[in-house]
Amino acid sequence: MTINKKWLKEFFSTKGVMSKSFTKSPPIRYILFGVLLSFAPMLISAEIMEYSTLSTIALLIIYTIVALGLNLLLGFSGLISLGTAGFIGFGAYGVIYFSDALSLTFIGATLVTLAVAGLIGALIGLFSLKVEGIYLAIATLFVGEIFLQIFKTVTWFTGGFSGTAFHYPHINMLFGTFAIDRNLTYILLVIMMVITMIIIYNIVNSRTGRALMAMSRSQHAAQAMGISLMKYRLVAFITATLFATLAGVLYASFFKYVTPVEWTLNLSLIIIAIVVVGGFKSIFGTFIGAFIIYGLPALWLKELFSGINGFSYIFSGILIIVVIMFYPHGAVYIGHDIKKLYYKIKQRTKKKVTPNE
Amino acid sequence: MDTFFFLLFKSLETGSVYALAALGIVLIFRTSSTTNFAQGSIGTLNAFVAAKLFIEWGWSIWAVAVVSMLTAFITGILIDTFIIRPASKVSPVSKQIITLGLIMVIIGLIPMIFGVDPLRIPRFINITESSTIHLLGTTITHNAIFIITLSISLMGFLFWFLKYTRWGLAIRVTASNEVTSRLMGVPTKRVTMASWATAAAFGTLAALIIAPQSSVNVMMMSDVQVNAFFACVLGGFGTFHGPVIGAYIIAFSKSATQYYVDDVWGNVYVYIIILIFLFFKPFGLFGKKSISKV
Repeated sequence: MTINKKWLKEFFSTKGVMSKSFTKSPPIRYILFGVLLSFAPMLISAEIMEYSTLSTIALLIIYTIVALGLNLLLGFSGLISLGTAGFIGFGAYGVIYFSDALSLTFIGATLVTLAVAGLIGALIGLFSLKVEGIYLAIATLFVGEIFLQIFKTVTWFTGGFSGTAFHYPHINMLFGTFAIDRNLTYILLVIMMVITMIIIYNIVNSRTGRALMAMSRSQHAAQAMGISLMKYRLVAFITATLFATLAGVLYASFFKYVTPVEWTLNLSLIIIAIVVVGGFKSIFGTFIGAFIIYGLPALWLKELFSGINGFSYIFSGILIIVVIMFYPHGAVYIGHDIKKLYYKIKQRTKKKVTPNE
Repeated sequence: MDTFFFLLFKSLETGSVYALAALGIVLIFRTSSTTNFAQGSIGTLNAFVAAKLFIEWGWSIWAVAVVSMLTAFITGILIDTFIIRPASKVSPVSKQIITLGLIMVIIGLIPMIFGVDPLRIPRFINITESSTIHLLGTTITHNAIFIITLSISLMGFLFWFLKYTRWGLAIRVTASNEVTSRLMGVPTKRVTMASWATAAAFGTLAALIIAPQSSVNVMMMSDVQVNAFFACVLGGFGTFHGPVIGAYIIAFSKSATQYYVDDVWGNVYVYIIILIFLFFKPFGLFGKKSISKV
């Protein structure tokens, strides 16, 4: 992964922070977006927002991180994985287990969990060299089911059906350890999401990203152009699993409790839906997708239709179907359409005005 | 040997459920090129119809089964007409997510229409002392025999239909190449509609078979759904009979490993063996590699 040089140049350019090209640079936008999201805890203390809303936004951020990883796999390399939920669960359980059993610090436990998950991801990547398409998707579903079985039965690792508890992370710095509270954990989540966005942006706009894109169009053609399938498939799978696992770690740290029932096929499908609805190959789109599929029903619809059982489910189901039907490339393009419509109307009104003059 | 036959009969019964669901999935996969994740949910929805008719209107289980399979047929047609066909241009992954949207709509609809309580329906033939047969050192219920014969004959009929009738030919050519067969005058739209309808009916039958083991509830088909996918992969999506054979193999090997090897980890061993098998035969038992031009 190479760091985007253009962006670095802009960052250190003498034009200053407010120059137009600087604010238009995507990584800066991601950071600004993160800063914006970081105001949420303040809104709670000002009693503008409810206490529980923060949990919803936190889960939204967690889903976005997973979906960003999956977007690299699905959007850029055209590989589908149905085992994502298993990796999120593994991250959540792993960080708890490793910090207890090996008495590691939070960061140490996270790194160990990520290493183990990355190894499994690499195995799947190797597997994907032989097995393709829908067969590969269902092979990853096998992995997900095996994870689920582990979560349910290996009690020393997961605490079995009753689940296992955790605490807000203790962060070790050079000058000592400090335990962070709910709001700071939330900020940690936001920071992680921004970092994920920047990493994905850099991968996509590098040699690796172009190789993945070539692979998604045609494997054989990509191979003929000298792209090593093995290397880039491994990169795609390892990145996707690492981000899913990282999201699991963040889940355990924010919600402080993990049970084995959540990590099923349905969650994996929801993550894929986030990528598809938000838009393949779009980084902000992934957040929009997460917002449409998880945020909108959880934040607003459930309250609005609390009288009617199951309405929010129906609504989000219909939303998914409608968005895919009319925006097969993702909901990000709604913005483009609105812009187009705006210019159309503008031009029409101009045309009507000019003859009179 | 007694336990072997016991396991065999048991897995023939569960295998039939997986096979029905898997056949539905592969029918849809071949004709509309999407993996139907909602196969289980459509079955659940119509099983709820059956349970409601059974409990509130007091119909017999046989009448209820026939009616719910008819409603499933209609559900399949409606889904194809209003959702799948208008979205025929979107990419296969997006189509799969459309079926996820369907799952959500169905999960939302069920408590609205049928209430939140799980409903109970009986077996086709009640299990009593007189309705069990002693065979090969073990017992098998009339109900199990009925289920096995019904599903095998239904699937047999479908295979006969696919092989020897004009409509079967239409389905097979649509499965092998939709655009060419449309150019040849095959009514591909009606073919996909028929496959959605048949798949929905099969899914409902599978749901009705497993419902008496627990109750009719929203999550009852999730296990069947996952195993049906595994069966499709093991048998290969390339043929119609592959997944059916795969379903029986999976059902038997799961119950055998659970009994002989390990109670808890038997499933996992089977999954790992299938994964290794897939590594060497990436298109399943009967599948062939499809060759595409660069």
